Amino acid sequence: MRPLTPRRLFWICAVLSAILFVAVVISLRMGAYPISVRQIVMTLFNGALGRRDRIRSEFWLVVFGLRLPRIALGILVGASLATAGAGFQALLRNPLADPYVLGVSSGAALGAILSLTVAPRAPAAIQAAAFAGAVATIAAVYFLGRRRGQLDSSTLLLAGIVTASFLSAVIMFLMTMLSGRDLRGMAFWLMGDLAAPPSVDLRWLYLLLIIAIGSIYSTSSDLNLILTGEREARHLGVNVDRVKLVVYVAASLLTGLAVSVSGAIGYVGLLVPHVMRLLFGSDYRLLIPASALGGAILIVVADTLARTVVAPTELPVGAMTALAGAPVFIYLMRRRGR
Amino acid sequence: MTSAWRKILAMGAGGWLLAAPAHLFARSQTSASGALAPAERTGTRIVTDETGRQMTIPAEVRRIVTLAPNLTETVYALGLGDRLVGDTNECNSPPAAKAKPHVGEPQDPSLEAIVALRPDLILASTTINRAETADALLRLGIPVYTSNPHTVRGMLDSIARMAALMGVPEQGQTLVADLRGRLDSLQARLAGCPLVHVLFVVWEDPLITIGQNTFIADELRWAGAESVVVSRQNWPQVSFEEVIRLQPDYILFAGNHQESASAEIADLRSRPAWRDLHAVEMGCVADAGEEAVRPSPGLVDAIVKLAHTLHPEVFGPGQKAGPSSLAAQVAGPEGGIARGEGAACAR
Repeated sequence: MRPLTPRRLFWICAVLSAILFVAVVISLRMGAYPISVRQIVMTLFNGALGRRDRIRSEFWLVVFGLRLPRIALGILVGASLATAGAGFQALLRNPLADPYVLGVSSGAALGAILSLTVAPRAPAAIQAAAFAGAVATIAAVYFLGRRRGQLDSSTLLLAGIVTASFLSAVIMFLMTMLSGRDLRGMAFWLMGDLAAPPSVDLRWLYLLLIIAIGSIYSTSSDLNLILTGEREARHLGVNVDRVKLVVYVAASLLTGLAVSVSGAIGYVGLLVPHVMRLLFGSDYRLLIPASALGGAILIVVADTLARTVVAPTELPVGAMTALAGAPVFIYLMRRRGR
Repeated sequence: MTSAWRKILAMGAGGWLLAAPAHLFARSQTSASGALAPAERTGTRIVTDETGRQMTIPAEVRRIVTLAPNLTETVYALGLGDRLVGDTNECNSPPAAKAKPHVGEPQDPSLEAIVALRPDLILASTTINRAETADALLRLGIPVYTSNPHTVRGMLDSIARMAALMGVPEQGQTLVADLRGRLDSLQARLAGCPLVHVLFVVWEDPLITIGQNTFIADELRWAGAESVVVSRQNWPQVSFEEVIRLQPDYILFAGNHQESASAEIADLRSRPAWRDLHAVEMGCVADAGEEAVRPSPGLVDAIVKLAHTLHPEVFGPGQKAGPSSLAAQVAGPEGGIARGEGAACAR
């Protein structure tokens, strides 16, 4: 791989952003309501200038009321999960780590469900609870995944898978007990879904997203060193514990953020960082922004497919990402075994 | 270039692109909540629906979309079929409803398809629709009135309220008064009859029945029966052992879950666990029909039919409740469980 220069970083991010933009335009075009690209462009143009009276009201509702919020949510969720995945992979030194595979998403979902039961109206409580659930789960998986004081790769994955299925069972139990309450369905929490936008203001969540991605990014040079060897990194003056803490908190925050608004969408955190590594190498200074953009692209594309393949009925977006992600997981696992 | 500069550059490139759609969305949100009423109206009303959601409804409702089959039936029963501009894939009654544009399944309708129909009122029901659907549509500024009936009387009140909402309060009063009258005369005839203990099967595998707070439980009470399962959940899943322990007098199926309910019932006697139930042995099995699980005006017909099936001692074995009695319905080509009318159940 070529060395990372600012120019290369800029161009890769620019190209990924351009792909994301194209995906967004395509996603805006697709749907049950027929609307042409020209009409979308005119709607966006007039909308940006604040000229609502020039737009047909259904165009306005479809573009600004339905499709754009859903795409914005998809970008948020995709960027969060992919960056969280890259973060967990560095933290646990395991390329198969992913919020969904490790059970962190289920932990966040459980936290969210509990907060909806206890305090359904409290603002931001669901995000805080999902974050707490993610933090607790990853801590549990980390301790369960150790053997003789060492983090063992396959034990860690097994611990994660067992934790995920245990937490899913608890969620199912809770949902059965609490049925009739105003909670979202079991499928939402276990599979993930972008169909109904959350009631919280997305600007808030984007702010949290940027803070969390930024803090992981600020540790990326140190992460590169830690990945070559913890002891060597310490010798080179890296504060390993502080870096790990930052990545741990930020990646849990990102998972909690995504799960609180979209349920447990799987395999994004596995698929995207892996593809980005294959394409651009494993330098975390590039991997973090590339994964964030790649995750956004993946979710926007997957959600567009999910809502058009069997239209007018919709598939949960988690089904789409699992369809692509599970084979990649198996491929990666087999390749490591060799 | 310093490493700090590099970081800022990358954050700028990634962060701006991530923030851009959020910004755009934020704009659309603030303006979307402003004024999304379909057009200029002379007058509007602020209404609170049966789930406590508040909404503004135009004084004159011209374009209605229904999200559940029972609501479609209600709209037609009120004589407003021509104002119905869309319904769901499940809306099959009256037959004219099938020709209306569909917006998808009741649990998962396409919001875009609904918006495209430019409705000024959407009707939803807690029995089948999801809360998220109503929330999302309300956020777009389209009023969604959600009805939430837990009893038969509650359903009648709900019909009256929806009639008033759609500008036809008199039709609503007439319809509801007629339905009430039929229920009252039924109650008078069933006075003093012992309650029949019924297992109401909503879904067979897994076995799902009804809870005590559903309109179906109340419907059974009107028909002189009672659900054997007592549960505070609305659609509890019960184990078969529990059914054997409870030994219902009668087993009722909700007609809409399989193509051929009659074949399914006929099949029960060949099945290991089911065939040992007293009710199956005695042939006390019936299909309650699709109307029995739809809280619409047709529910009263279903109740009357049920009462005839469950209480032959009152109505006489040969007396038919409607065009097709239940006993005749379930008699399959192979003879089925119910042989002849009224003789279905040897209780």
